[in-house]
Amino acid sequence: MSAVFKRGSARIQANLTPMIDVTFLLIVFFVLVSQIVEVENVKLQLPAPEDPATELPDDEQRVVINVVPAQPATTGRAIEYRVGSRRFAAGEEGVDALADHVMRLYSGNPTLRINLRADRDTQYEWIEPVLRAISIAAARTGESGITARVNLVVVKED
Amino acid sequence: MAESAPKPKPPSELFGPDPLADLPTGDYRRSRVRRRRTTGTARISLNLTAMIDVVFLLLIYFMAGTSFKLGEEIYRMDLPERGPSNAQRDPFELDDEPLRIRIASVGQRGRSYRIRVEGPYQQPDTFEELLTFLRERQIGPFTTRGLFEADHPIIIEPTRTARWEHAMGAFNAAARARYTNITFARPGG
Repeated sequence: MSAVFKRGSARIQANLTPMIDVTFLLIVFFVLVSQIVEVENVKLQLPAPEDPATELPDDEQRVVINVVPAQPATTGRAIEYRVGSRRFAAGEEGVDALADHVMRLYSGNPTLRINLRADRDTQYEWIEPVLRAISIAAARTGESGITARVNLVVVKED
Repeated sequence: MAESAPKPKPPSELFGPDPLADLPTGDYRRSRVRRRRTTGTARISLNLTAMIDVVFLLLIYFMAGTSFKLGEEIYRMDLPERGPSNAQRDPFELDDEPLRIRIASVGQRGRSYRIRVEGPYQQPDTFEELLTFLRERQIGPFTTRGLFEADHPIIIEPTRTARWEHAMGAFNAAARARYTNITFARPGG
């Protein structure tokens, strides 16, 4: 009897080492590129100016105000302003409440910057109240050193 | 006369009885010893199945949870001060008359835009022309015939129905021309 039959049937085994290597590389890649979804950022079609003279945001203290558009966004209307999980209706009362909220944020941190995110289709009449509210909030704090600093957020498309 | 060294004990006294003693001597005993030597130590292997399961779950989680979004960038803008801070300004300081740029969205669904620069200037039709206009009129290290310093106030005045994209297009033209004092006005008609 030959040696093959003596040992019985051969065990077929896949070498899993390269697969585990590649899988771990993929996991490392996705961990690095994925960002924890920020609650403060609403999904918007931000403006994309040609050849923008923008800069990358740094690690400064900032709060994000989202101008949430009505659906479909092409109507150009906004339904609310959102700061984190807080919502303010688009209208005079909502803008006043927004100004109060921003004022409280300023009193906690006078050097705060405010990121303004708005959909590219939103009409300016819905965005200007936010700028006005920020300006009023900075003035209401009563501290002379506070300037309303706003970051206008756009998207850079190549 | 010196005492002789103690006689060493036989292995059976030191290690106990030989386990192979009751086996028959000869080829069988030798072959068993040989097999034990050639087999060597037992192979220790890890069961990787559970780890691979977890790794694949992690991979699926990150693949499903990752969304590739385009990079968001910012323009910095300081809003004009309101209220008591204006009262502290020098009363003899002359204000620079700001350059006002009006922008309106026109056409079907406001896809087109119209630019109007306040003043006796040839009007730009596109944001690129607005950029050229602003660059040519800036006093810089290479141009002394310009009208405006880099910190000259520029006010973007979108109409109420102007789309934010067009407002930002005008803002971008001024920013690209390296003006540093750009802001937005209350919406016009």
